[in-house]
Amino acid sequence: MTRPKPMISSNDSQQLDTAVPQQPVSRPLWTVQRVLLGIALAILLFYFVVYVVYAFNLIRFPFDYDQGEGFELVDVMMFSQFQWPYADIEQYPFYGSIYPPLYHILLVPFAWLFGPEYWYGRLFSFASTLVAAGAIAYAVYRQAGRTKNASFIGLLSGLAFLSSNIIYHIGPLFRQHIPMFMFEVLAIVVLANADEISDKGKRRQQLLLGFGLLLAAGYTKQLAAFTAIAALGFLFIRQPRRAFFWGLGFAIVGTGIFLLINISTDGNWWTQTVTANVKDFIPAQAIGLFRLWFKLHGFLIVPAVLYMLYEVYFARISIYSLWFIIATILNGMSAGTWGAGDSYYGTSIAATCILSGIFAARVLNRDWTFNNNIYNRILIDPFRRFAPLFASIGMVVIPLLYIGYGRAVMHLPTTGAGFRQIADIFDVQPNALNGFYDSAGRLTGAYADIGHFTTQADIDAGYQIVDFVNATDKLVLSEEAAFSLITERDVITNPVVLYILDQVGAYDSSALVAMLEQQEFGLVILRAQFYPDEVNRAITTYYEPFEEIRMNGFDYILKRPKS
Amino acid sequence: MFKNEFTFTKRQLGLLLLIIGIVGFAAVYGIDLVDVGREGGIGPVQRIALGALALMTVLGLTLIPLGDDPA
Repeated sequence: MTRPKPMISSNDSQQLDTAVPQQPVSRPLWTVQRVLLGIALAILLFYFVVYVVYAFNLIRFPFDYDQGEGFELVDVMMFSQFQWPYADIEQYPFYGSIYPPLYHILLVPFAWLFGPEYWYGRLFSFASTLVAAGAIAYAVYRQAGRTKNASFIGLLSGLAFLSSNIIYHIGPLFRQHIPMFMFEVLAIVVLANADEISDKGKRRQQLLLGFGLLLAAGYTKQLAAFTAIAALGFLFIRQPRRAFFWGLGFAIVGTGIFLLINISTDGNWWTQTVTANVKDFIPAQAIGLFRLWFKLHGFLIVPAVLYMLYEVYFARISIYSLWFIIATILNGMSAGTWGAGDSYYGTSIAATCILSGIFAARVLNRDWTFNNNIYNRILIDPFRRFAPLFASIGMVVIPLLYIGYGRAVMHLPTTGAGFRQIADIFDVQPNALNGFYDSAGRLTGAYADIGHFTTQADIDAGYQIVDFVNATDKLVLSEEAAFSLITERDVITNPVVLYILDQVGAYDSSALVAMLEQQEFGLVILRAQFYPDEVNRAITTYYEPFEEIRMNGFDYILKRPKS
Repeated sequence: MFKNEFTFTKRQLGLLLLIIGIVGFAAVYGIDLVDVGREGGIGPVQRIALGALALMTVLGLTLIPLGDDPA
């Protein structure tokens, strides 16, 4: 990094008005700024180390860590056998899937090579977060003028994304949500400057790639629809004609794929991916998660909002601003639906990191230009003489924002070589499972309780349950797929799918309840009892608990037929 | 609007947001007036939508004075 030039760069049109007068930067101020930036980098790099260790801990864990991971693996296995997972849930084995297929299809080659294993899905997700972080860093670097300050702040922005408790929690999970982030971020970064490409052929290639990535995101998880709205909205503002024709093409291809899958699955695709996703809105959960999101990311949200307002009133609105506001409002509302959680804020966090990064880099570059308009005259002109002072303050405030963010998202193990010593130095006491400290605490209103490391005792407990499965010759009804997959038995039901379809009146549990009444299952394994009420009642009536095994913080209840 | 070189100005975007905000607000609020038998009155999702649409209306109004600056 080099000492900032005393010159102010103006990279826009003649309509623009430079706000910050040219002033040299004093050596002591420059030194303080460099030291603070170094501290901020060290903090975020530490979280990156924690993230890598956590990822490798999970990658070697052979059971479900987060509820539902095993069913994602079942989807992969079904695709690897050229079967749709969107099957008739009212017939044995009562299995269905509520997620689009792309993530699972991408993992099929691993399934052919290694069979049903958790590690490759988690590794893929982990790698996806690294790609997303790299794209965020590049976006900041490009939008902030490709300067050395921009590259450094870009690095901080990418690390800030990975340091978010929310991204950390879910990054290495066998879940489709994470690759969706990757495709979303890549699509937005590709489309951000597509309309500025003067060469028609290159512009079309870029738009094609951007829309392809949007489709990939949508067919990884439905939530990406909000990112598509932001992207189309941006293109519409910039050039309605182009947005219309590209949007039409996008809709035709997207709908075509949708209809093709729906026809191939006898309509089960519609029932399970659309009907099943119309879920109850829980205001307390939505509000709790919104507060959590702000509490953890406020140090970056404030500059992101300031930069968005700057673009709205003093410059051109970028795709990042539109993406930030749409993802925050719509994904935030979706986070309040049953079964959703903090992960729904992931897209907003990516946009926050980009916008706050551009803001930070432009402050350090002293690269601000303002459209000459009424708001400029009212809000900017009276303070113009203070610009050198603001610029000097900004040089210190920017690194402090990242340091403050680092404090807000604090999460680390308090045991283990290196981590224990750091926890002792900063007097960090564990507040989560297995000696982990997490400033997010237990997530408000949602069921997820993740982020801690697994232990050998957790793995041993899992294999203890496997032993019980091996001890029966009859069918096994397990709320998690891992125990059936490891013992090469039929995976029977996906409880959450049954539950939510039951809630919307699209599931008749008679056949499953009849099997329970006839005690056709030799063993029932429960973790959260996510089955529909009639199924839970039948389990309670015809099966009795005989063992309770604690694994990964959850009590697994094992039941056998009542005599 | 469908010319190749057309791009929204701040004023046009402001007007568009203003219209969407007002019409959307009326539509969301009107759900309860049309469907009078519905239980629960204005629900939480409706309230959030009304808030967002009101914000959009205000944003639209504040953009109108910015004239022909490109949005």
